[in-house]
Amino acid sequence: MSAERYNRQIILKGFGEEAQQQLLRAKVLVIGAGGLGCPALQYLAAAGIGHIGIVDDDTISLSNLHRQILFTTADIGKLKVEVAAKRLQEMNTQIGIIRHPIRLQKNNILDILSRYDYILDGTDNFESRYLINDACALLNKPLIFAAVSGFEGQLAIFNTPDHLTPSTNYRDLFPISPDKEEVANCAENGVLGVLPGILGTMAATETIKLIAKIGQPLTNKILSYNLLTQEQYTINISHGGGYTMPKTVDEFLNMEYQDTSEGPQGYIEIDASELVKLQQLESTILIDVRERHEVPILDKQIFTQVPMSEFGAFMNKEFYQKHVVLICQHGIRSVAAAEAMQEKYGDAKKIYSLKGGIVKWRDHFLKP
Amino acid sequence: MKIELISFGKIAEFINNQNIEIDGIADTDAFKQYLENQFPALKSMKYKLALNKNIVQENTEITNNATIAIMPPFSGG
Repeated sequence: MSAERYNRQIILKGFGEEAQQQLLRAKVLVIGAGGLGCPALQYLAAAGIGHIGIVDDDTISLSNLHRQILFTTADIGKLKVEVAAKRLQEMNTQIGIIRHPIRLQKNNILDILSRYDYILDGTDNFESRYLINDACALLNKPLIFAAVSGFEGQLAIFNTPDHLTPSTNYRDLFPISPDKEEVANCAENGVLGVLPGILGTMAATETIKLIAKIGQPLTNKILSYNLLTQEQYTINISHGGGYTMPKTVDEFLNMEYQDTSEGPQGYIEIDASELVKLQQLESTILIDVRERHEVPILDKQIFTQVPMSEFGAFMNKEFYQKHVVLICQHGIRSVAAAEAMQEKYGDAKKIYSLKGGIVKWRDHFLKP
Repeated sequence: MKIELISFGKIAEFINNQNIEIDGIADTDAFKQYLENQFPALKSMKYKLALNKNIVQENTEITNNATIAIMPPFSGG
């Protein structure tokens, strides 16, 4: 270990040599190399966490750069884990960085999480958060949880006992995942880059505190942060009830983490090539359910604009097309719209939702 | 009874931080009912109440000058 590199931490009263050794021995998995993940990774790597894993299957876009600060303009189009790992390794040549360029799912998460001691959730959707929460509880891994919305953030440490309470988990706060319709955020609500910057750094802080056993980590607590006022409000979490947590691997694999129900759902999620085929059929309507201010703006000759806020009124009118394709930014709201359509039109029309939305198929939509 | 009400996230968009004066409400179940009557939008949202910085998991008595926080889940990252 280069004592010189970490000298300023080592000489700090209250930290020291032994704490640094603990950082170097620790294995931390950061899930999501985005707004929260980038600053968290930056500081965990700088501090000398010996073994850092990064999970993300996404590539870098221009609109990431205002907050995903590990990436540069020249990196657009590249895989986030690749660029992040390279940059972090350049900064700290002594630590190990493991790339996981995948999306975590039931069938791979237990294997990957089991290789690490601490898990940091920097994802951007509830499906992943509940999946990660339940996996951490099953595997007994401390979970550092951070999330943002608008000008506010939340930070908590789950699945770690303290002297007063056996460990709590995310479901002790929110036992049931919000519905798709409730998730109005996606990327449309917007965020200032500094907010995930701050929360990601705070998450790295809590991780370091846990590993080095310093200070008072937010174990069984949730801290609410307000960027506009700089106020923080910390709440104690206790064990709740009214939820099912998988207690065995089999139970975990049988859990439902996607918001779509299993079994025949009627509507079909399609990709861009299927969209192209449907566009060529005579009786197809393409409906853009995003709100009117959202970008990129699509050709109104091709895409009928029916924002979710106006969807109910639209459904009261008759339209003749047989094939109905719903599109939104990330493929979440369009599923809610598809479900509503399916319920109304059943077998009379064929309903589709573009999986992953405009963001996933950006090349298709932004063709000149 | 005086209660300080604080809210977070999307809930803060329609419920300001405020001091309220109410009578006839002695516990958190009754308070939740009161909130949802005053602010019907809450009925379709997921949120958690905290009483004096402790999460409310079961019906709990409320005393004068309590602070109640209303917290929704965030997922952004």
